[in-house]
Amino acid sequence: MRIWIKFAKDQPLQFLSHLDLLRLWQRALRRACLPVQYSQGFNPHPKISFAAALPVGVTSEAEYTDIHFAQKITDVEIDKLQSVLPQGLQIKGWRPVPAAAKTLMAMVGAQRWQVTIESAAAVQTSLEQLLQAAELPVQRQRKKGVKTINLRPYIYRLEIAAADSLEMLLAAGNAGSAKPREVLELLGLQAHSNVRCIETLLQINGFLQSPLAVLLNEKEVSVNAEKDYYQLR
Amino acid sequence: MKNNYRQYFWQHILPHVEKPTRYLGNEVNAVVKDHQEVALRVALAFPDLYEIGMSHLGLKILYHIINQEEKWLAERVFMPAPDAERMMRELSFPLCSLETVTPLAAFDLVGFTLQYELSYATILQMLTLANIPLTAADRGEDDPLVVGGGPAAFNPEPLAAFFDFFVIGDAEEALPQILELLTENKTAARGEKLRLLAEIAGVYVPSFYREQRSKSGEYLGTVAAAADLPAKVKRAVVTDLDQAPYPTDFIVPYGEIVHDRLVLELFRGCTRGCRFCQAGIIYRPVRERQVDTLKKLARQMVRSTGYEEMALSSLSSGDYSGIEQLVCELGAELAQEGVSLSLPSLRLDSFSGDLAEQVQRVRKSGLTFAPEAGTQRLRDVINKNITEEDLLQAVREAFAAGWNSVKLYFMLGLPTETDEDLLGIADLARKVVKAYQQSSGRGKARVTVSVSVFVPKAHTPFQWVGQISQAEMLRRQALLKQALRLPGVQFQYHGVQTSMLEAALARGGRELVPVLARAAALGCKLDGWDEHFAYELWEQAFKENGLDLESCAQRAYAAEDPLPWDHFDTGVSKGYLLREYQRALAGQVTKDCREGCLGCGMAVLLDEEDKGVCASADMD
Repeated sequence: MRIWIKFAKDQPLQFLSHLDLLRLWQRALRRACLPVQYSQGFNPHPKISFAAALPVGVTSEAEYTDIHFAQKITDVEIDKLQSVLPQGLQIKGWRPVPAAAKTLMAMVGAQRWQVTIESAAAVQTSLEQLLQAAELPVQRQRKKGVKTINLRPYIYRLEIAAADSLEMLLAAGNAGSAKPREVLELLGLQAHSNVRCIETLLQINGFLQSPLAVLLNEKEVSVNAEKDYYQLR
Repeated sequence: MKNNYRQYFWQHILPHVEKPTRYLGNEVNAVVKDHQEVALRVALAFPDLYEIGMSHLGLKILYHIINQEEKWLAERVFMPAPDAERMMRELSFPLCSLETVTPLAAFDLVGFTLQYELSYATILQMLTLANIPLTAADRGEDDPLVVGGGPAAFNPEPLAAFFDFFVIGDAEEALPQILELLTENKTAARGEKLRLLAEIAGVYVPSFYREQRSKSGEYLGTVAAAADLPAKVKRAVVTDLDQAPYPTDFIVPYGEIVHDRLVLELFRGCTRGCRFCQAGIIYRPVRERQVDTLKKLARQMVRSTGYEEMALSSLSSGDYSGIEQLVCELGAELAQEGVSLSLPSLRLDSFSGDLAEQVQRVRKSGLTFAPEAGTQRLRDVINKNITEEDLLQAVREAFAAGWNSVKLYFMLGLPTETDEDLLGIADLARKVVKAYQQSSGRGKARVTVSVSVFVPKAHTPFQWVGQISQAEMLRRQALLKQALRLPGVQFQYHGVQTSMLEAALARGGRELVPVLARAAALGCKLDGWDEHFAYELWEQAFKENGLDLESCAQRAYAAEDPLPWDHFDTGVSKGYLLREYQRALAGQVTKDCREGCLGCGMAVLLDEEDKGVCASADMD
């Protein structure tokens, strides 16, 4: 049985890398006696994947994992799993998923970020300038050298949410992304500012919606109009 | 900062260091207790990085023994990596335990694992970072007692001044006795505590023993300074390993460590009698755990950790009396949970394709064999007791079972070694490649030949031998490099200077105390890591104290010379070691003592009733 789990990665686990997190899940599943399906082949590996890799040092209340179990899963098994997870890793919800559905990783389209800032007034100007810019060139280190990309199309929303907080809706996934650190640097903010991921969204034909909200039917994924979603321009 | 080291560390240091998961301290199965609620607080210090120290079984055993008692607590501490260390020094932040971020100086007892000589300078760095006075003589009533234990404690004299006491031998029974005594005498003065501790079997208080030297400075021996102390400190021995405590709740690290797996200790001790091997002497006699005990432990370990791999550990796992039953039954059980078994210490002559396949049901990992020397003559000298045919048979079986890569371990610079012995290594490698072509032929074989430099160790038949010179080591390495330019063969070797330092420290005495202090002051640390090892600084530290590092490594002792570790009784007599040394020089092999007692002396040290393999010993 295949399921998607939404979980929070909080203090003190913000320092775990993506690989550390994968190992943590695999071991927790074995502690909970919940057998996972293995891939076929010479070096079989457990079928566990994630929607997106969270940057090290950042917390999140909306991480998603995609697991193929070798048995039926109910709330009882999920409670058992929660009981062996370390402090800082809290399961927020889950749903069964058709075996044929695409992976979360293939569908993820954006993430919402919350940034704690010292003063909203101080960022207001640079924020407006940034949103009005047609091009926002940033440099990224690639294996073959430094590459310059235009970040602007990947910044979907940017707004002051409170006197001490900024919210960003940034593209994520294979089709191009903006990293929170890159946007913060453009705003002249410290990369170490307190960043938290508050939602991870799948991209479905120009719409963005949470993996727990979308409609799933065999291979088909569609937007659930009764729940929150975003429409991309 | 005084009361909130944790908050300070998490805010100002952790976010800025490499691999912060080394310092989190809240891993699954880590034990956190309230310092106010316990009678005794112990810091278990491993003088290397987290990923090395966390791979060490001894530390897990001690952590378990102490924490299972409600009245005591044990927390871990490792050497911080250079980036974190620099930051801690700049911010004057003291070395703290992982679990509760408590400064080391606030513990009652700080215990260091003495696993290898190359960690000695790191111990001194850790004491300095912890603001604990370096020498026992300078510590006051408020400072913790500093204790060392582990294999290197069998010659602790180079570290004598830095430790309040040492534990020689198995800790499973000695440690609770020590902690019990310290709990009962909490308010006693340091000197009084040490006097009481010295009465426990296996405890050595270096300040109670004096080094004697002739007028010309020649070493004459180390003697007890008071009449009621034993002339020789007897090693602590756990007689019933099956009943001894064993940790099933391994701490599960977040980041990857060197040996990232469960370890199940099948037995302690080895009867093979390889003449270079210190472990083969200091862990005598063989004491096994029962198959049922092991299976039960294994089940609990998987349940409490969720690990995907378990290593069956011992000095020579093929010698375990129930090996086939255990591997077959445990392998089948663990495979159902996707857990693989590995057998890292399998002698060539006990290897079979069947056994290997049983083990590698889930994942096939690499195979490693240790012929140690390239010719039968030299293997006879070191009493390795395996033949070329054993090796070829083992690799043929491995290749037939589907492996295509093997690693072969050898040593360079063994006593009596000639160029012919070295060329024999290349010859063996060639034959292994050929065996692959004959038995399978699919693709290419990968044969890795790893050659380390021989380091003579205390309490072994080769304890009297010096190392060859640095120039000679380099010449022999070059010879091997040339000879091993073979298709399908990869040659691995390390710098010779770390081996020289290891040799110089392994067989020295108290004259090395100021050398170590100076080396640490010069900044030496983490010497087992090529990127941190600074040979020139060590040479300087030796020179400034009137010693020459290379001469110390090359020093040969005469049979009648008093040795700096003569006042430690491992159970094996010096006469036996000498006899083995003479047989080595004559090229005579000595059989496995399971086939008949060789009178090494071990049987005498043990209690009458329970002697392990020594139960059948011939006592004359």
